Amino acid sequence: MSTPELSPPRPAADALTAPFWDGCREHRLVIQRCRACGHYLHLPKPVCRFCLSTDLGYEAVSGRATLYTYTVAVQPFHPYYADKVPYLLATVELAEQPRLMLFTRLTECTEDDVRVGMPVEVVFDDVTPDLTLPLFRPAS
Amino acid sequence: MARKQQRAAIVGVGYSTIGRRTGLTPQELTVQAVRAALDDAGLQPSDVDGFSTLGGEPLSDAKMLGMQPLHMFFSGGMSPAYSHAALMAVAAIEAGMAHTVVTTRIIQQQPSGSERLQDAGPPPPIGGDMQFLVPFGGGIPTQWAGMLTRRRMAEFGETEDHYAAHVVTQRHHASMNDDAFFRDPITKDDYFASRYVAKPLRLLDCDYPCDSGSAIIYTTEERARDLRQKPVFVESYALGSISDLNFEILEDMVATAPHHVGEQLWSRTDLTPADIDCAQLYDGFTFITFEWLEALGFCGKGEAGPFVAEGNTRLGGSLPTNTDGGACNVGRRHGANFCIEATRQLRGQCGERQVPGARTAVWSNGAGPFGGAMVLTAE
Repeated sequence: MSTPELSPPRPAADALTAPFWDGCREHRLVIQRCRACGHYLHLPKPVCRFCLSTDLGYEAVSGRATLYTYTVAVQPFHPYYADKVPYLLATVELAEQPRLMLFTRLTECTEDDVRVGMPVEVVFDDVTPDLTLPLFRPAS
Repeated sequence: MARKQQRAAIVGVGYSTIGRRTGLTPQELTVQAVRAALDDAGLQPSDVDGFSTLGGEPLSDAKMLGMQPLHMFFSGGMSPAYSHAALMAVAAIEAGMAHTVVTTRIIQQQPSGSERLQDAGPPPPIGGDMQFLVPFGGGIPTQWAGMLTRRRMAEFGETEDHYAAHVVTQRHHASMNDDAFFRDPITKDDYFASRYVAKPLRLLDCDYPCDSGSAIIYTTEERARDLRQKPVFVESYALGSISDLNFEILEDMVATAPHHVGEQLWSRTDLTPADIDCAQLYDGFTFITFEWLEALGFCGKGEAGPFVAEGNTRLGGSLPTNTDGGACNVGRRHGANFCIEATRQLRGQCGERQVPGARTAVWSNGAGPFGGAMVLTAE
C-alpha cells in the first residue's frame, strides 16, 4: 500500500464561509460586510456585531494591510507542515477598517525582512486545485 | 440558610500526585486532590454542598466522593481555567446559594507536538472559526503566544532579556519549593540556550505539561473560623472577557482581558495594588505574567519588562511574584497552583520562600479573551 500524498489541513467551508474560500480560488480577497451599517466582519458570522443586522454579503477588498504581529513557527504540529518550518505566521490589519484582523502567513520574505507595522499585500498560494490560501508579502 | 451576603474563605487546599503521564485517570486525580484538601481543612464529605470544576464532572465527582445533596454545581468550559470554577464557587457562597464548595482543576497531559505528527491520519476538513487558522499552519497556543509576545516587544520595547530575568527569577523561587519539577537555579545564559518554539517564545517561556489535580475548598467566614487552618478570606474577585477564543485575531494584543478584570477587581475593595504583599500571576507563557503586572496596576502599561528586570518580583523585592516558581516549574495547574500558593503564603506555611508577614495576596488566571483574579487576605 502506497503512502497517501500528505494533504494540507483544509477548511470545511459552509454556506457562511464558502464565499471567502471561493474568492481565494479566484485570487480575490473577499470579506464579509454588513449591508446595513457598512462594517466589515472577519471572521464571518450570521449577524453584524455592530448593528445586529443579518443583511450581510461579501465584498472584494484591496488586499492592502499592515503587519500587526508575527511569529516564526519553528515547531510543526501538522504532518503537512513538518518539512515547511520555519515559517512566518502573522496577523495583519486590513486597510479597509481599523482592527479588521486577518490571520495568515507571510511569504516571499524572511524574518530579517519583517517588522511590525510594515505594509503588506495579499498574494494567493494555490496549494491544491481545491485550496488557495491568501498569504501576504511585503508591499511592493 | 440565611439569605444574606457573606464573605467567603479558603479553608482547604490539596494536590494529587503530579507528574508526566502518571497513568492516573481524571477521577483518580480528583479523588487524591479532594481528599488532600478535605484533610487540610478538617472537613468531611458530608460538610460539602457545592462542587465546581474545570476538567471534572461535578455531579459524578461529588457522588463518587459522597458529597450529596449539592446546592451548587458548575463545570467550566473554555474559560480562564481554574479561576472560573473558583469565582463561581465564591459567588455562590457570598449569595448564600451554598455554604461549602469544593473546586477543582483536573488536567491530563496533552499529546506533544511530535506525538501529534505521528498520530495524524488524513486530516478531516476544519470547520468553524478554526478554518481561518489551521490551514495556514496555525491554531496552536504557542504560536499565538509568540505573536502576542512579539507585539509587546514592538509596542513597548520589551526585550528577550526581560523575559530571561523573569524565567531566572521564577526558577530561583522554585529552588525553594519541594513540589517543583525544576529546582536547579538557572542563569540568563540557560534561558538564551533554550530553543525557540514560536520565536520569540522559547521553551522556558512555557508552562510544563503534566498530569495534575488541584482542589481548593471555600466556605463561609463563620464556618471557616471553626476549622483546622487559619482562614484566608476572599476580599475581591473579578471575571472578564473581551473576545471569543481566537487569540490570533485579538484587536489589541497588549491590553487584553486582564486589564478589564483589573478595573473590576479593584473597584470591589478598599485595598489598592500598593497594599498587596505578594502576587501569583498566571504564567502559561511569560508574557502573560507581564500583562497581569500591568493590568493589576503594579506597574504602568508597557513597564513590566523593566519592573521584572529590576528585581521587584523576586523574593525580597517590592512585589514577590509567583513564589512557588510558577507553572513553568511546578507544572501546568492552570491557576490552581497560584490560588494554593497565595493561600499558603497568607497562612505562613511557605518555609524558606515565605514572604515575611504576608497578609494580602492576589492571584490570577487567563489572558487574551478571558481572565479571572482574586484578592485574598489574612488577619
